[in-house]
Amino acid sequence: MAKIIVVTSGKGGVGKTTSSAAIGTGLALQGHKTVVVDFDVGLRNLDLIMGCERRVVYDFVNVINKEASLNQALIKDKRTPGLFILPASQTRDKDALTMEGVQAVLNDLSKDFDYIICDSPAGIEQGAQMALYFADEAIVVTNPEVSSVRDSDRILGILQSKSMRAEQGKNVKEHLLLTRYNPHRVATAEMLSVADVEEILAVPLLGVIPESEAVLKASNQGSPVILDQESTAGQAYNDAVRRLLGEKVEHRFLEAQKKGFFKRLLGGK
Amino acid sequence: MAEQCFRMKGTTLTSIVLDILNFEPDEFDKQLTAKVASAPQFFTRSSLILQLNTAISATEFELLVALCKKHQLQPMAVKGQVGELRTTINDLGLSDISQSKSTDSALPAGDNDAPAPAAAPANNGVAKVIDRPVRSGQQVYAQGGDLIIVAPVSEGAEILADGNIHVYGTMRGRALAGVKGDTQARIFCQQMEAELLSIAGRFVMQDTIQTQCWKQSAQAYLEEDALVVSALV
Ligand SMILES: Nc1ncnc2c1ncn2[C@@H]1O[C@H](COP(=O)(O)OP(=O)(O)OP(=O)(O)O)[C@@H](O)[C@H]1O
Ligand SMILES: [Mg+2]
Repeated sequence: MAKIIVVTSGKGGVGKTTSSAAIGTGLALQGHKTVVVDFDVGLRNLDLIMGCERRVVYDFVNVINKEASLNQALIKDKRTPGLFILPASQTRDKDALTMEGVQAVLNDLSKDFDYIICDSPAGIEQGAQMALYFADEAIVVTNPEVSSVRDSDRILGILQSKSMRAEQGKNVKEHLLLTRYNPHRVATAEMLSVADVEEILAVPLLGVIPESEAVLKASNQGSPVILDQESTAGQAYNDAVRRLLGEKVEHRFLEAQKKGFFKRLLGGK
Repeated sequence: MAEQCFRMKGTTLTSIVLDILNFEPDEFDKQLTAKVASAPQFFTRSSLILQLNTAISATEFELLVALCKKHQLQPMAVKGQVGELRTTINDLGLSDISQSKSTDSALPAGDNDAPAPAAAPANNGVAKVIDRPVRSGQQVYAQGGDLIIVAPVSEGAEILADGNIHVYGTMRGRALAGVKGDTQARIFCQQMEAELLSIAGRFVMQDTIQTQCWKQSAQAYLEEDALVVSALV
């Protein structure tokens, strides 16, 4: 039985797809057979960020409509063994996903995989609700700004009331992933701090991903940023994956770096 | 075998009852504008039960509904002197609940036009305990007793109780205690950052609370019909 994890946020453009690609890759690198499913029907971003857009023949909607088998639609990642992508359709709209169809596909995937990562579309409407409905756990991606935090709060409420587990009286395990974090802008009070966001949302912190040019570079190259272990964002995603797997890893990249390179090497705050 | 498509459940919800005492469209619009302006966040998109205490024509009724909607109030049901209006009510997609039972309490207060609250209902002595955060968009109601929340309440969340409310966590949403008219009900918050506090229909908004015991441990109670918020020392 696979563990189903939804990557969700409410607000758009906060880094869900970037995080789905990075975390999916990280889990596979740690030896867990992982599939990343693109629920953002009509936009199709995941395959671009994962660099497999030219290999898409069939998609999620084709499988639901029984126009293709799951094996025909799944794309095997070329770089990372044990990593697969189920792309979204670019030509359909969001209504093309049905609850029964999604459930059937997730059930099938569950037999073969250890982790199913669901990349949710933005919003709190039907598309986002579909992506989170079957989740066992949720990674709530938030940027350190008021509107994003507010939307995350909203989606957490939906998660604990409208998901399948909630309807069965069970919890969906929550993780907070703070992305595009810029310590300099926190210092000047342009952005909320990690402590502010944690205090408002009251969800355990899975990781803090710094704002980094490496993210844009990686997505232009179609290579998940976690593969760039030179970059702070790549390292932060790697830490987050280890925490997701239960390791205790200290948070990094929280402070504006004034202290110089050696201090950082030697550890300490 | 086909999968089950739905399930039916009962629910209790708290809503505002708009008592229509006499309907003169312009005057009604004027008074409603003033009322909504007094607490915009409280009334926006509230669902509404229209209580017709005066006989009005179908055309007047349609106008009444339109005026409510204009102020972002959402009539959902009608009771009282429904008489000839049944078809109109149906056509507008509202329900006729003139036959159903309900208990009303006075609202809004903070001014003098509110009638005295209905007799306080018996507190059944059973508290509802919630130990997960109450998030924006969620609502929790403790019927017949106290509500105890051992977690934060987010901005945009609403918690209601027939009895007292206790929040052990930051209180950023709206809290309404004594919603069936219990004027003895109180609200206790470990950290007060509420959007709105209400007891038995009397309420205060955030701008008032901010000047009193913002971010402190505080309680709210009624003193001679006025809602008092004070720090807990
Ligand atoms: N840590 C980061 N540093 C810099 N840029 C980032 C970071 N994370 C994401 N971005 C950028 O933010 C933009 C949005 O990212 P992404 O597509 O992952 O968000 P999303 O939440 O999936 O968006 P949507 O709601 O549209 O699906 C992209 O241009 C991406 O490169
Ligand atoms: Mg996306």
